[in-house]
Amino acid sequence: MTATAARSHIHRDNLLTRSLSFLSSQEVILFFVLVGLIVLVGTSNPRYVAERNFINILNGNAYIAVAAIGMSMVIISRNIDISVGSLIGVLGTLSGSLAINGYPIWMSWVVPVLAGALVGAVIGFLVAYLRIPSIVVTLGLLSILKGGLITITGGAWITDLPKDYFLAQIKTPPVSLLGLNLPEIPSPIVFMIVLTILAALWMRYSMTGRAIYAVGGNAEAARLSGISEKRIIMTVFIINGLTVGIAAVLWATQLSIIQSTVPAGLELQVITSAVVGGVSILGGIGTTVGAMLAAILLSAINSALVFIDVSPYWFRAVVGVLILFTVLVDLLRRQRSRASARG
Amino acid sequence: MTSSTLQQSDEMKSGVRLRAFLLRQEVVLFLMMMIAIFILTLGSDKFLTLDNLLNQGRFLTEIALVALPMTFIIITGGIDLSVGSIMGLCAIVLGYMWNPTGPFQWPLELAVAFSLLVGVLCGLVNGLIIVRIGVPPLITTLATLALYRGLAEGISQARSVRNYPEYFYELGQGTLLGVPTQLWMVLVFVIITAIILSRTIFGRSLYAIGNNELGARFSGIPVGLYTIMIYAFSGLMSGIAAWVFVSRVTTTRSDMGTGLELDAIAAVVLGGTSIFGGSGSIVGTVIGLVLIQLLKNGLALSGVTTDGTIVVIGTVLILAILINNYIQRRASAVE
Amino acid sequence: MNRKLLVALLLGVVMVLSFSLALPVAAQDRWDGADDLPVNPLDCPMAEGEAMPEATEEAPMDMPAYDGGQPTNAPDLAGQPIVLVDVPKLVGIGYFAATTLGQAQAAEELGNVTVTTDAPTEANIDDQIAVIDNYITQGVNGILFAANDPVAIAPVLTRALESGIHVVGYDANSEPGAREWFVNQAEFNGIGKAMVDSMVAEIGADGSFAIVTSTFTTPNQARWIAEMQAYQEKCYPELTWLETVEAQEDNVLSFNQATTLINKYGEELDGIFGMTSVATPAAAEAVVQAGLCAVDAANAAAGSPEAAVAVVGLATPNAMKPYVTGDNAGCVKSVVLWNPVDLGYAAVYVMRAVVDGTLKPGDATVEAGRLGTLSVVNGSEVLLGPPFIYTKDNIDGFDF
Repeated sequence: MTATAARSHIHRDNLLTRSLSFLSSQEVILFFVLVGLIVLVGTSNPRYVAERNFINILNGNAYIAVAAIGMSMVIISRNIDISVGSLIGVLGTLSGSLAINGYPIWMSWVVPVLAGALVGAVIGFLVAYLRIPSIVVTLGLLSILKGGLITITGGAWITDLPKDYFLAQIKTPPVSLLGLNLPEIPSPIVFMIVLTILAALWMRYSMTGRAIYAVGGNAEAARLSGISEKRIIMTVFIINGLTVGIAAVLWATQLSIIQSTVPAGLELQVITSAVVGGVSILGGIGTTVGAMLAAILLSAINSALVFIDVSPYWFRAVVGVLILFTVLVDLLRRQRSRASARG
Repeated sequence: MTSSTLQQSDEMKSGVRLRAFLLRQEVVLFLMMMIAIFILTLGSDKFLTLDNLLNQGRFLTEIALVALPMTFIIITGGIDLSVGSIMGLCAIVLGYMWNPTGPFQWPLELAVAFSLLVGVLCGLVNGLIIVRIGVPPLITTLATLALYRGLAEGISQARSVRNYPEYFYELGQGTLLGVPTQLWMVLVFVIITAIILSRTIFGRSLYAIGNNELGARFSGIPVGLYTIMIYAFSGLMSGIAAWVFVSRVTTTRSDMGTGLELDAIAAVVLGGTSIFGGSGSIVGTVIGLVLIQLLKNGLALSGVTTDGTIVVIGTVLILAILINNYIQRRASAVE
Repeated sequence: MNRKLLVALLLGVVMVLSFSLALPVAAQDRWDGADDLPVNPLDCPMAEGEAMPEATEEAPMDMPAYDGGQPTNAPDLAGQPIVLVDVPKLVGIGYFAATTLGQAQAAEELGNVTVTTDAPTEANIDDQIAVIDNYITQGVNGILFAANDPVAIAPVLTRALESGIHVVGYDANSEPGAREWFVNQAEFNGIGKAMVDSMVAEIGADGSFAIVTSTFTTPNQARWIAEMQAYQEKCYPELTWLETVEAQEDNVLSFNQATTLINKYGEELDGIFGMTSVATPAAAEAVVQAGLCAVDAANAAAGSPEAAVAVVGLATPNAMKPYVTGDNAGCVKSVVLWNPVDLGYAAVYVMRAVVDGTLKPGDATVEAGRLGTLSVVNGSEVLLGPPFIYTKDNIDGFDF
C-alpha cells in the first residue's frame, strides 16, 4: 500500500498532470453520468424529472452527503471511519432526547454536533497520538456505540417531538429570481451544498486543508516540510465528527419518529459516496464536491430503479456495478492524463 | 503511521528478531485471553465446561474460515470486505442448483462443488480487478460487496430453499469423535494456513508484499499472481463457510453472512496483524477469534445482554491493540 | 495499459452477460413481495349491517391435531418460580419494546415469573441463534421467541426442547415441531382482509395502491402480502396493484421509497400500504410532506380530492398518533394491528400454563389473565384474536 501510494505520488507531483486531472476530473465525469441518467430515465418517464422528484432526489441522500464531507477528509488523510453509521444513530437519539426532555430546541440541534466533535477528538487522539490504526479504533467504536445505544434507550423509539424540532423539514421561502420562480428548497439540500462548497474551498486554499492532502499523499515528506501529522489527523477527525453531528441532526429531524436502531449499512453508503466521488483510498486526492455528486447519484439511481421498473431484487447488484464502473472510468482517465503528461 | 511501518521494517532485518517480535505479540494476547477466561469463569459455572466450549466452536467456524485467508490478505496490506456477500451468494447458489423444485435439480454434492467454484470465481474477480486493473482492494471489495449480495438477492428472488436431506446436516450439526464436525475442518485449515504462512516461500513473500510492494516486485516475487491467489482463496473459504452455515441452519437466505467481514477483520486485527500489512500470524488470528467468541459466550452466561456484550467487545478490541502497541514500543525501545 | 483495458472490457462483458441472462427470469415474476405458500382468503364483507361474527367463520374449520414439539424430561415446576428469556427478532424497534412491556406486566401479575429480553441489535438469523444457544447453556426454564427465520431457528429450538426447556413462540413462528406453542397475534388471512377492507373504505373498490415492505425475505410480511393479494383478487378484482418496494427496517429509507412512489404514480396512486411498524409512519410522513393528506386536499378549494393518498398499515399507536389525531389529524384513518402489549402478555401466560400443565396438547383453550380465554387454532397455535383497527376514536387510549 505504502509503495503504491508513494509511486503514484511521484506522478501526482507533476504540475501538468495535476492541472489536467483537475480539468477532466472525477467531478466532471460524475456530473455527466448524473445528467445522462436523469435524461435517460426522464425521457422514459417525465415524472422522474418533475421538480418535486428532483428535489427529493437531492434531499434523499443529503445527510449522507454531509457526512461524506468529513469522510472525504478522513480518507484523503489516509484513514477511515467505519463508525459513522452508529454515530449518526447515537447523536440523532441524543438530539431527540434533548428535545423531548424540555431543553431548548436550538440545544437539541447544536449539542449533538459538539458531541460529534468530541467523539471525533477521541478518535483522532487514539489514531494520531496513541497510534492505533483508524480502522481498528472505529471498528471498536462501532460496536460500543451500537450496543450502548440499545442499552441506554432500551430499544424504545422517540416520538412526541415538539413541533419546532424538525430542522430538516424547514424549507426556503419561494424566491423569484430574474423572472424565474425558484422552488422551495428543503434545508438539508442547503446544508449539503453550502457545507460542501465551504469544505472544498477550505481544503483547496487554506494551509491546513492543503496539509491534509500532504499528509495523505506522503506523510514523511509532509513531516519534513514542517507539517505536524498528528495535529492534522486530529483536526480531520474533529471535522468529521462535526459533519457527522450535522448529518445526525438532519437525519433525526426529518421524520416524526427517531429510531433507536442504527440504519444498517449507513457507514458503507457514506464511504461509497466518498470513494465513488473520486477520493482515493490511498490518500492524497479527491474533493468533497465529488463525494456530494456521488451521494446524489446514488439517490438518483435508487429513485430511477423504482421509476424504470427494475426488479428491486437487483438493486444492490446495480449499485455494485456502478461503483466499479465509475472507479474504472476514473482509473482509465488518470492513466490517459498521466500518459499525455509524459508524452 | 509511516514511522511505525519503518519501525516494523527495522524489525524485519533479521528473522530471529522477527520471530521474537511475533512471539511477544501473541504471548501478550494469550495472557489477555487467560485473564478474560479467569474473569468469565467467575461469572458463571457453566462457562468453563467442555460441552460449552466445544459448542462454541460451531459459532466460531464461519468467522474462522474467512478470518484465515483474511489474515493473508491483511498481511499483504489489502482487505476483503466482500467475504460476507460471497458467503451469501454461495449459499444461494448451493440452494438454487440443488432445489428439487427449481430449474436445475442437481445432485447435492454437485451443487456444493459448484457453489465452491462460484466462491473461487468471486475471489478471482476481486483479485483480477485489484491486480490487473489496479483498483485499490478496499474499493474493489466495497463494490463487489454490493454486487455479490445483489446477485444473491437477484438469483434467489427472496425465496429460501429448505428441506435438505438429513445427511447434509451432519457437517453443521453433527459430531465426530465427540467434537463438532466443522471444528475438525477449522483445525485442518488452521494448520494448513499456519504452515503456508510461516514455512513456505509463498508465505514469506506475503510479508514482503505487505512491507514493501515495490521491493517485493524487484526481488522477483510474482506479486500479482500471489495477490490473485489469496483473494481467490478467500473466495473459496467464504464458499466453504456458506456450505457449513447452510448445513447448520438448514436453509438458504440471500442475507446470510451480512456483517461477516467486520467480525473477521476484528478477529484478525485483534490477533495482532497490522492493518497496514507486513506483520501478523495465524496463531494470533486464532487467539483473536477465540477471545471474541469466549467474550460473547462468557458474558452472556454471566447475564450480560447482547447490547452490553458488543460494547465490551468493542472496548476490548481498542484496549488490546493499545496495550499491545505500548508493550511492543517499550520492547523495541529496550532493544 | 492495453491489457488493463482488455481485462476491464472482459469484466464488463461478463457482468452484462450475467445480468442479461438473469433479467428475463426476473421479468417473468411480479415482484410483489408475496411468498409461494398456499393462501386462504376470508369471505368478502357482507352487505352493510350484517357483518358475520368472527367465531362462525372459524367454527367450520376442522381442528387439526397438535403438531408442536415437547421437551424431554422437563422438570416439574408447576406453581414454582420460573426464569424465562425472551428473544425477539431484534431489539431497538418500538414494536418489540411493546411486547417486552406486556411480558413485564404478565410477570408482575403472576408474581412467580422472571423474564428478561435479550436479542441481537439487527434482525440477523445467526446472532439470534447464538443468543438462544447461550441461554440454553445458562439453563433457563423457558424460552419465548419471535423467529427471524422459521427454518433456521428450528435446530437450536429443538436443542432447547431436548434440554428440557419449554419453548413458546410469538409474533413470528418457527417450524411447528421445534416449539410447543405459538401465540398467533392474528391469522394471516385476517390481517390481509383487515388491511384490504380498510384501504377500500378509503379509496373505493377501483383504486390503485402500492406497498412499502421491509424486505421480501421477511416471512410474516411476505405471508401477509400473499393473503392480501388473494383476498383482493377474490373480493375487489377492480383494485389495481401497482408495485411493492423494499425499505428494510429503516424509516428514512421507507420515507424516501414512499415519496418516490408518490412522485412516480402521481394522481394514479390512491393509497399506500405500510407492511411494518417502521414503514407505515414513514409513508404517512411522506404523504404529509407531499401535501397529499385527505384533509389537505379537502381543505384546498382548488385541489381535487382524487389527489389525496391514503395510508393504511401495520403500526404501533404512538408512532401513528400525529397522523390520526395529532398535528396532521385525518391523514391516516385506520391503523391495523393487534395489541403487541397483549401479545407479549399472552406469551408469558401461555408459558406459565404450559409449565403448570394447564395447557396440554389437544386442549382447545387457555386462560390468559386479563385477556380471558384464548382459543387454540391450527393444532398448536394460541390465537390472540382478530386484528385490531386503531382509528381516531380509540387510538388515544393506547400508549406504547
